[in-house]
Amino acid sequence: MAEGGAPIACDVLVLGGGMAGATAALAARDAGARVALVCRAPGSTALSGGAVSVAHDPSALPDAALSSRAGVVESARRIAASQLGHPYHVLRDRLDRLFTALEFATGQLSSILAPPSGRNRWLLTPFGKVHPAAACQHSMVAGDLAEVRGVLAVVALRGHLWWDAGLVASGAVRAQALGGPSPRVVPLDLFLWDEAALARPFDLARLLEAPGAAEEAGKMLAKRLPRGAGAALFPPVLGLSAGARVAERIGAAAGIPVAEFLSDLPSVPGLRLQRSIEERLQAAGVLVLRGEVHGAARPGCPVRAGGREVRAHAWVLATGRFVGGGIARRGELLEPALGLPVLASEGPFAEAGAHLATRPPAALTLRDSRSPQPLLSAGLKVDEELRPVDAEGRAVHDRLFAAGAVIGGHDQASDGTGMGVALFTGWLAGRSAAASARTRQLALPGGE
Amino acid sequence: MGEPKRYDVVVLGGGANGTGTARDCAMRGLSVLLLEKRDFACGASGASSGMIHGGIRYMLSDRKVTELACRDAGYIRRIAPHLVFRIPFLLPFASRAEEATLAERAAWYATEVYVGTYDLYQPLKGGKPSTRLSAAELYALEPSLRPGLGGAVTLDEWGIDGARLCLLNALSAEAHGAEVRTWTEATELVREEGRAVGVRWRDALTGEHGEARAGAILNATGAWSPRWGHANQVEVPMRPGKGVHLALDRRLSNYGIICKAVDGRQMFVMPHEEESIIGTTDDDFYGDPDDLEATSDEVAYLLEGAESLVPSVRRARLTRAFSGVRTTLYQYGRTEDALSREHQLLDHSVDGAAGLFSFVGGKLASYRAQSQEIADRLVDYLDVSPRPCRTHEEPLPGGERIEDPSELARRHGVPEAVARRIVYRHGSRARELLRLCDEDPRLKLSVCREEGVLAAEVVYLARHEKVRRLEDLRRRCRLAVAGCGGLDCARLAAQLVAHELAWDAEQLRAELHGLLELNWRERRPVLDGWQLAEEELLRAVHRGLGEV
Amino acid sequence: MGRARSLAYLGYRAVLAHPLKRLARKGTGEERFLASYGAEGLGPTTAEELEAAEAASACVSCGLCESACSLAAVTPAVRDLGLHAAFRLYSKSSSSLPAAVGALSVCAECAGCEALCPTGVPISRLVRLFAARAGEGSAPAAPRHALPTRPE
Repeated sequence: MAEGGAPIACDVLVLGGGMAGATAALAARDAGARVALVCRAPGSTALSGGAVSVAHDPSALPDAALSSRAGVVESARRIAASQLGHPYHVLRDRLDRLFTALEFATGQLSSILAPPSGRNRWLLTPFGKVHPAAACQHSMVAGDLAEVRGVLAVVALRGHLWWDAGLVASGAVRAQALGGPSPRVVPLDLFLWDEAALARPFDLARLLEAPGAAEEAGKMLAKRLPRGAGAALFPPVLGLSAGARVAERIGAAAGIPVAEFLSDLPSVPGLRLQRSIEERLQAAGVLVLRGEVHGAARPGCPVRAGGREVRAHAWVLATGRFVGGGIARRGELLEPALGLPVLASEGPFAEAGAHLATRPPAALTLRDSRSPQPLLSAGLKVDEELRPVDAEGRAVHDRLFAAGAVIGGHDQASDGTGMGVALFTGWLAGRSAAASARTRQLALPGGE
Repeated sequence: MGEPKRYDVVVLGGGANGTGTARDCAMRGLSVLLLEKRDFACGASGASSGMIHGGIRYMLSDRKVTELACRDAGYIRRIAPHLVFRIPFLLPFASRAEEATLAERAAWYATEVYVGTYDLYQPLKGGKPSTRLSAAELYALEPSLRPGLGGAVTLDEWGIDGARLCLLNALSAEAHGAEVRTWTEATELVREEGRAVGVRWRDALTGEHGEARAGAILNATGAWSPRWGHANQVEVPMRPGKGVHLALDRRLSNYGIICKAVDGRQMFVMPHEEESIIGTTDDDFYGDPDDLEATSDEVAYLLEGAESLVPSVRRARLTRAFSGVRTTLYQYGRTEDALSREHQLLDHSVDGAAGLFSFVGGKLASYRAQSQEIADRLVDYLDVSPRPCRTHEEPLPGGERIEDPSELARRHGVPEAVARRIVYRHGSRARELLRLCDEDPRLKLSVCREEGVLAAEVVYLARHEKVRRLEDLRRRCRLAVAGCGGLDCARLAAQLVAHELAWDAEQLRAELHGLLELNWRERRPVLDGWQLAEEELLRAVHRGLGEV
Repeated sequence: MGRARSLAYLGYRAVLAHPLKRLARKGTGEERFLASYGAEGLGPTTAEELEAAEAASACVSCGLCESACSLAAVTPAVRDLGLHAAFRLYSKSSSSLPAAVGALSVCAECAGCEALCPTGVPISRLVRLFAARAGEGSAPAAPRHALPTRPE
C-alpha cells in the first residue's frame, strides 16, 4: 500500500472489515453513498466457524435444538425480551427488519452464503453438538440435520487425527429422536500418507482444491456410502475459496449432497468467508484501504487511514471486540480507535456505567465459566440509532455509528448471536450513515 | 465389596510426602496402598514454587540443616536428573539514596559473605558457586532491571516440576509392588479398641468402594488434614497458609530475581520450565482447600512487588494465577513468615487412634528426607526389619539414563524442540514414548505447541501414567496450562484419551468441561491484554461451538 | 548447633575466610557468572529479545498465519508444528531456539503471514530475529544448550 495519494472525500467511512463493517459498507453503498472502508487485519469473522448464527430460541431446552419451532426473528425477539443488555434489546423496536438485513447480507455474499429460510439450520460441530444458524455457507447446507433424510454419512479421515467423526456423529444421534437422520461413520482413505498426517487444515483444503482431487474423493466416497445415505458430512476442509466449489464437486462425483461440518480453530471456512467479503467489497465499489487509523477525532474531520487522508461525513465503527482490537483491556477497558468510553456489559453490570472500565477482572467474571461473563461482554453502549453514547447517555456524535462486536452487552463469542448482531447492526448503521450523508447534501450551501 | 485387603501401610494423599513415603515403604518391602482423592499433586505439591533448594536460610540457626538439605537436593538430582533445571538467582542491592550508605554497604557485604558460605554446600547438589556483581555487570546480565541498583550477589538453585515428581514417585512405588489409586477417597477411618486399623475408601469415578486394613496409616493429605481429621475424630493442628503465584506466557529471563513486596516480604520473579513465575504470598487460610482462587488483591500485590525491580512485568502477558495451601505447623501468635517450613509427624494414639500418623509442615525440596523419616517411624511402629532405605540411590522412572534430544529427534522424525520437552518430562522413557510414533506416524501430530506435546505423548500418558480424567493431563504434561488455554489442544487431547479410556461422547465433553473449568478458575483473576483476546477465542470455540 | 555458634561462624567467614576467597578468585564477577552458566544455555536476555518477546506475546494461536505461509506445507520443520510454533514453542525460552534453526531460517520474508495476524504480531521481523539468534550459538567450544549432566 503506497503512502500518500490524493486525499479521499466520501460519504461514509467504515472502520473494520469483518461481517459488521462489510455489511455496513455494502448497505451504505446500496443506498447510493460513496464508501471507504479501512481495515488492519482479519478479526473474529475470519476465525468463525462457517455459520451465520443470529438467534436461537432461549426458551428451548439445550438438548432439544431441533424441537424448537420458533423461527429466527421470533427467537431474536425472545432474546430481546429476556436479556436487557443485549443489542437486540436496544433494537427491539426494529427487529421486524432483522430478516431483511439477513437477506441483504446473504444476498451480497451469495457467492459463499446460502439464502436464509427464516428458520434455523441445525449444523453439527467438531464437538458433537448441534449449532443453530440462520444461514450458512453453501458448503454446509447439505448438513442441515432438519433437512437430511435417511442416513447421514459422517466421513472419518483415516490418515488424520485432528477430527473425530464418531464424536461429531454423536450429535446427530441425539437429534435422531426428533426426526433427524441416523448417523453412520464412514472411514475414507483420504490423506493417507505420512506428511499428510501432520498437515494443517489449510493444507488439507488446498490439497482438495487440486485438479481432480475433489472428484477422486467423491468416487472414493461413493464406494463406501452406506445404504440409504441422504448426505455425507466432511471435516471443514472443503476448499480454500468458495469459487473452487469443492463440496459441490465431491457431491457430483459421489452422487449425494455433500457438506462440511462447522469448524473450530484453525478455521478454513472462516478465512473463506473473510476472503469472499473482501472480494464483494471490491466488486461493489467500496474503496478498501489497508492499515491503521491515526489521528481519529470525529466524523467530518480528516483522518489518516491506511496511509491516505480520508474525510467522510459519517463513520461506522465496526472494529470488533478483543480479538479484533476494537475493545482492549490494558489495565482498564478502553476503545483504542476513537477513545470512546466502554460502558456496556451484561447482566448485573448492564448499568455499571463509567466504573466498568476500571474494575479488576475477578470482579467482572463469574466462577462458573458457562455463565455469560461481564468482562467478555464489555463494549460500547449505543442508543436506538446505534450511536455510541457517553456516561450521560448522550450520543457522542450525531453521525458516528457503531456496528458489530464493538457494541457491548452480550458475550458475543459464545451466545450464538455474534454474526446476527454484526449484520443487523451493520445494515442499520450503514443505512443510517448513508442517510445522514444524503441529508447533508440537502442542507443549505455553506452549512456543514 | 469383598473381604478387606490387608496392607502393612496405607498412605492417604498423593502429594510429595504421600508418594515419597509410599515409594520408600514399597522399596523396603512393605505392602502399601496409596489413596489419593483426586490426582497426584493437586494440593501444595502441585502449586508450589517448584524448587529443590538447599535451605540457605538455616545457616543462620543451624548449618547442619543446610548441609543435609543440600545433600538431599543432590539425591533428588541424582534420582531424577532429567527433571531438575538450573535457576541462577540474582539478589540485587538497592540503595535508598543516590550513594549507598556505609550501613547499606555493610549489609551488601554481609549478603555476599552469607551466600558465599552457602557455596561450601553447593557441591553436594551440583550447584554453581556464587559471585558478586558490580552495578555495570548486573545490568549487562539483566537489562530489564530498574535503574539505580548497586550490584548483586548470585545464587544457584534447582527447579523441578512438582507434579511430575509426585507422579514418578507413585509409579516407582507401583513398580515395587504398591497399589496406587487416584480419584479414590479414604472416606472413613476404621478403629478398633483405640487403634486405627484401616480405612474405607470410595472410587469417585466408578463408585466402587472397599475397605483396607493396615498396620499403620499415614495421613499425608496436607491442607485437607484438619477437615479429614475432624471427620474422623482426630485432631491435626495446623496453620494452613495460602500461597499464590502468577505465571507469564514465556521466560522473561533465564535468571531469577529476588525482590521485595510492598510489605517487605521477600518475593521473586523467576524462570520455571518454559515460563516465568512471580511468587509468592503467604496468608492464613481459613477456607476450603477444594475451592482455591487467587484474589485481585493477591494478584495486585505480586505485580507491585515484581514491578519494583522489573518494570517490564507490567507489560508482560499473565496467563494464570495458581494457588496452593501450605501445611504450616500450628503456632498461635506468630506472623506467617516467622513460622518456618519445619515438619512434624503426629502420633494419634492420644486421639485413640494408635497406628495413625499425620504429617504436617515440610517443604517440597526435602520431601525425600521427610519421607525417609516417616518411613523409619512407620517401620519402627510396625516393628519389622525390612530392607534399608534406598530412595536416594535408585533412579525414579526415567532417571536411569540421560537421553540426547537431537538424536531422538533424528531417529523418530520429530522436531528437536519437542524432543527436548519430551526428554525433560520422561528422561529415558522418551524412547518408549517415541516408539509410538514409529508404529503410527499419525501420532506425530502436535497437540500442544506451548509445551511440545505430541499425540503420541498423550496416548503414552493415558496408557502408562495413571490418567483417569482429562484434567490429569494438566499435571502430566502441562496440557492447556500455558497461554493458549486449550484452544489448540484440548479437543484433540480429549479425543485421544477418550479413545484410550473408552469414553463415550458425553463423557468426553464432560471431561473437556472439567479441564476448561479448572483453567478458567486460574485465568480469570488475571484476564487482561492479549490473554483476554485468547479467552474470547476460547469461549467462541468451547462455549459457542462446543457448549462444553 | 545453636544460633550463637552459627553467627560466630559467619563472623569468621566475614572477617577472614571470605576476603581470602576473594583474593584467590580469578576474573570479574560477570566472567565467572557466564563461565558457570553460559555453557548450559543460560545466557542473558538482551533488551532486543525482551521487546521481541512482548511482540510475540500477542499471538493467540488462531492459525491464520499458517494459511498464508507458502513454505508451511513443504518444510517439515515448519509443517510439523505450524508457523506459530515460532512464537509458541521456539521463542518461549532462549534454550529452545537453537533447535528451531531449520524452521526459522527458511522464511522467505514474503510477509503474507503478517497481513493476516489479527493481533498484529510482527511475524517477519520476529522470525528474522529468532532465526539469527538460533543460528548464533555461543562460544564455538561449547554447545548453545546442554543436556542435563549426570551428577558426580
